Amino acid sequence: MNEFELSIIGPAFAACLLVLSTHVPLGTEVLRRGIIFIDLAIAQVAGLGVIAADTMGWEAEGWMVQIAAVSGALTAAFVLHWTDRRWPDIQEALIGVSFVLAATAGILTLAENPHGGEHLKELLVGQVLWVNYDQLLPVGVISASVLITWYWMRDHMRGFGFYALFAFAVTASVQLVGIYLVFACLIIPAISTRHIAGRRLRIVCGYGVGVVGCLAGLALSVNGDLPAGAVIVWSLAISALIFAWLVWPMMRNRHKQVEINFE
Amino acid sequence: MLRIAALVLGLAATSTASALNVFVCEPEWGSLVQELAGDTAETTVATTAFQDPHRLQARPSLIAAVRRADLIVCTGADLEIGWLPLLLRRAGNARIQVGNPGYFLAADFVRRIEIPASIDRAQGDVHPQGNPHIHLSPRNIERVADALADRLRQVDPANSAHYQSRLDDFLRRWSEATEQWEDRILQFEGLRLASHTRSFSYLAAWLDLDIVATLEPKPGIPASGAQLAALLQQLTPNPPAGVIRTPYENEKPSGWLSERLGIAEIVLPFTIGGSSKSVDLFSLYDETIRTLEEHNH
Repeated sequence: MNEFELSIIGPAFAACLLVLSTHVPLGTEVLRRGIIFIDLAIAQVAGLGVIAADTMGWEAEGWMVQIAAVSGALTAAFVLHWTDRRWPDIQEALIGVSFVLAATAGILTLAENPHGGEHLKELLVGQVLWVNYDQLLPVGVISASVLITWYWMRDHMRGFGFYALFAFAVTASVQLVGIYLVFACLIIPAISTRHIAGRRLRIVCGYGVGVVGCLAGLALSVNGDLPAGAVIVWSLAISALIFAWLVWPMMRNRHKQVEINFE
Repeated sequence: MLRIAALVLGLAATSTASALNVFVCEPEWGSLVQELAGDTAETTVATTAFQDPHRLQARPSLIAAVRRADLIVCTGADLEIGWLPLLLRRAGNARIQVGNPGYFLAADFVRRIEIPASIDRAQGDVHPQGNPHIHLSPRNIERVADALADRLRQVDPANSAHYQSRLDDFLRRWSEATEQWEDRILQFEGLRLASHTRSFSYLAAWLDLDIVATLEPKPGIPASGAQLAALLQQLTPNPPAGVIRTPYENEKPSGWLSERLGIAEIVLPFTIGGSSKSVDLFSLYDETIRTLEEHNH
């Protein structure tokens, strides 16, 4: 791999790592709670927040866009937290419904205000290859805060806290790498490691699956000249399959043997 | 996959020659660079006739091509606003940044039409700088060719004479061809057509077409039920001869209209590669006129 290819892959890989850093631990929790599509719903409402701000006439630029997006995401987090407590048995269905409502509310608002559409596209279809190092700094700060809060508070985080944390993580990452890759980073490492009992081991393996998937995807993207985000989604899935079917069974057997030897 | 990899390798191999590296946003400018520079330039074209130039997926080869480019040739007038600035920033190549000689926008050199008197947010994704689809007017091609040859001489002074003689040759052939086209297009004067978007406004101005309706009046936003009903009501008593669109635009709206009104659905090549016979600027114009002739009885 030459210097030029490294300079293409460098920022994209760093973006991938940042997104994975928060999404792997949050993904295991999302999977446990059975609210898989929450990131789609929250990202969509974040987009709606930006359209609404635009419609109300603030020229949304820079930080204003971010504030509008986070406000939207937090509102969604609040509503979804409330429905989670009120109707826990249909929470997943309600998340699905809020996703289509937010998406179609966007279409309806845009019929009057098309410029919001540009912001919505910017917000939901980030492209990992076009990331610059200077864009990574704010996302790095947000990711670090999310991670610290998560590890510090996760055992006490019953309700709104989790949804709010999630809103921040998703709003930041979707703009960087787009909705497909965010969904993949959240769910794929979590399902491939679901049989691992130890919490710490599971997160470490999840990170491994994610990092291997990202690296392989970026390498394929450069060699095959393919859009990076889409390739990484596929390489993440393949990395997860290899882990769940080959690597983990081997690790588990060795683990058992060690236990037997001890006896 | 192997074939794509081979293509990338091929691209890398050819670029090692000391040719002028040109990055082009749309196929029509690729053809113009070819006319003016010939083998002196290695050209990478970012989009095909089947891609909407408003949108583009980031691929590694695009960043690579912009990074080594000595000159980029794009339409401008905000057509590539969604991706070109990102691509330029990501590539970090000073030669082709905004304001430097290596940054050439064709639309800067023609008189644009449909410049909104005031930017009304209700108008859709309008271009405040006017309609950017400038290439289907022979006068515009002439003006852009002039300016582009100037720019080629500026970024590659060693080949100045080469560019000048190719420009003279191109302009001579282009004006001969234009004369022939202008005989053929007389029959289109006042021809009534509907259009998907405003992609053909310059063509319509040149051919004196009467574009009676636009199916997506606010670009980027599907028409509402009320708009479609009004359109049908307006067009039913006196239907246009057909409805035109580009190869990359959604076929559903024009299909719907052509079925309702029983009129022809006409896909014009729009740019190089938009039909199998549109291989350069000359054949693009030939094919466009021939396609319209087929539907004009």
